[in-house]
Amino acid sequence: MLRLDEVTVEIAGVTVLRKVSLRVPPGGRIALIGRNGAGKTTTLRALMGLLPARHGTLAIDGRDCRDMPAHRRAALGVGYAPEERRLFGSFSVRQNILLPAEVLGLPEAEITRRVETMFDLLPELRELAPRRAAGLSGGQGKMVALGRAIMVGTRAILLDEPFQGLAPALALRYAEALLQLKSALPDVAILITESSPELLKPLVESTYVIERGEIAAA
Amino acid sequence: MSWFSDNGLLLGLATLDGLSYAAAIFMVAVGLNLIFGVLRVLNIAHGSFYAIGGYSAASLGLMFAARGLPAWAAFAALAIAAAIVGVLLGPPIARLLRRTQHQEPVLQLLVTFGLFMILEDLQKLIWGVQPIVFDRPLKLLGNVDVPFAGDLIPFTRYQLFVLPGIAIVTLVALAWTLRRTLFGRMLVAVTVDREAAISQGIDADRITMVTFTIGTALAALGGALSSATASLVPGVGAQTIVLSFAVVATAGLGQVEGAAITALLIGLGRSTAIYFAPELEVVIPYLIMVGVLLIRPQGLFGVIETRRI
Ligand SMILES: Nc1ncnc2c1ncn2[C@@H]1O[C@H](COP(=O)(O)OP(=O)(O)OP(=O)(O)O)[C@@H](O)[C@H]1O
Ligand SMILES: [Mg+2]
Repeated sequence: MLRLDEVTVEIAGVTVLRKVSLRVPPGGRIALIGRNGAGKTTTLRALMGLLPARHGTLAIDGRDCRDMPAHRRAALGVGYAPEERRLFGSFSVRQNILLPAEVLGLPEAEITRRVETMFDLLPELRELAPRRAAGLSGGQGKMVALGRAIMVGTRAILLDEPFQGLAPALALRYAEALLQLKSALPDVAILITESSPELLKPLVESTYVIERGEIAAA
Repeated sequence: MSWFSDNGLLLGLATLDGLSYAAAIFMVAVGLNLIFGVLRVLNIAHGSFYAIGGYSAASLGLMFAARGLPAWAAFAALAIAAAIVGVLLGPPIARLLRRTQHQEPVLQLLVTFGLFMILEDLQKLIWGVQPIVFDRPLKLLGNVDVPFAGDLIPFTRYQLFVLPGIAIVTLVALAWTLRRTLFGRMLVAVTVDREAAISQGIDADRITMVTFTIGTALAALGGALSSATASLVPGVGAQTIVLSFAVVATAGLGQVEGAAITALLIGLGRSTAIYFAPELEVVIPYLIMVGVLLIRPQGLFGVIETRRI
C-alpha cells in the first residue's frame, strides 16, 4: 500500500533520511520507532509529498508518487495526523473534521456515512463537534486530528507520535480506538511512529526502527 | 462648542473626504492582507496595481466617452479595467513571487521592490508623466448638500455613496466568503498552516493564485474608483502602498473587518490633517500606526497565537 524504496531526503543541505526503504501492506499496521531526531516525522512528510525525495522511489497503492503534487494524497485515500495536531484554530471541530471530505468534493451522503463511522470509533468527538478547535486541550486535539485523518484515510492513515503528551488514561483510550479501527476498517493500512515500542506492541504487526535517518532493523 | 461652529465646514469636509479616501485605501489594504496571508510575501508592487488600475480605468473611460457610449459606460469602465488588471497581472506575478516563498524576507522585499520599479516605469511608458483626469463618473452623479454641524456641505454623490458603498459591499462579500464558503475555509486554512492545508487535499498553489488575482483586482478597483476623484500622476502607487502597509500593520494580519475600521481611522486622520494641519498630512497615518503598535504589537485586531494547536 505504502512503499518507500531507498528514499533519501535532504533538508537545508543536510541529509536527514538515507536510503530509507519501508513497506506497509494493504490493511497492514506498521510501527516506525526511533529516538528524537531519528527521522520519523521526515519519513511521514516525505510520504505525504511535503518534502521532496532526493533519490529513491515512493509509491502509494502501487502508484509512483514522487512527483505527484502533495495535495493529491488525500484523493488517493491517505489521511495524515501530524505530530502537533495542526488543527485550524478558528474553525469548529466539526469544520476541521469535514474539511478534507469537502475539499475532495465527496457527495453529502458519503460524507455523512464517513462521519458516522468515525463518530462510532471516537464517540467523544460528537460532543466536541461544535467547539472551536482553538479551545481544545492537547489530548482532545489529538483525538480530533485522528478523526480528521480517518475521514480521508480510506486506504492508509499516517499517525506521527499519537501518544506523545497523552495522559495515561487518554493514551489507553486512544489505543483502544486504534484497535477498534482495525476491526471496523480492516482495509485501512496504518503507519504509526513512536519513540518507544511499548505502547504499540499490541497494535501493530511489525516494526521498523529508524536511527539517524537510516532503517536499522525491520 | 465655538470651535466646532467655527470649523464645522472644514470638519465636515474632512470627514467626508476621509470616508471616501478610507474606502479606496481599504480596497488596497484588504487585498494586500489576504495575499500576505497565503503567500507570506509582503508585496510592495501591490501599490502598482492601484496605480495601473486607475490609469486603465481612465483610459478605458475616456475611450468609451470618445466613442459616444452612454453615461453608465463610464462606471462600467471602472469595473472592467479592474478585472482586466487583476486577470492580466495577478497570475504571472503570483507565479513569480511564489518562487521567492522560501527565500529570505529581505530577498522577497527586494524582488517585490524591483517589480514595483518595473511596473512604475511601464506605467510611465504607457501613460506618460502628465496628470490624467477622468472625472466623468464624478460629474455624472453631481453634488449633494450634506448637513453637518449646522452647515450644509456640498459634496459629490460619487464620493459620498459610490466609493464607500463599493467598499462596504467588498467588505461584506469577503467576510461572507471567508466564513461561509468552502473556498473561504480553504483560504483561511492555507493562511494558518499551509502544510496542514495541503495534507487535507487543498491545492494551496491554486488557492494562492486565485487569492492573489482577487487581491490584485481589488487594488485595481480601488485605483479605478479613485481615478475619478483625483488626477493620476506618477508616484500614486508608492503613496498607496505605504498607506496600505500602515493599515495592515495597524489592523493586524488576517483581518478583513479590522482592515476596514483601521482604513477608516487612518483615512479620517489623514484628511483631518489635510484641513487643519497640512504639514502633518504625510506623517499622521504613521503616527497612528506607531501609536497603536506601541500599545498592541499584534495590531488593533490581531490575536496572539499563544500555542500551536
Ligand atoms: N526543517 C528542518 N530544518 C533543519 N533540520 C531539520 C528540519 N526538520 C528536521 N530536521 C532534522 O532532521 C532530523 C530528523 O528530524 P525528524 O523531525 O524527522 O525527527 P523525528 O524522528 O520525528 O524526531 P522527534 O521524535 O523529535 O519528533 C533531525 O536531526 C532534525 O534536526
Ligand atoms: Mg517527529
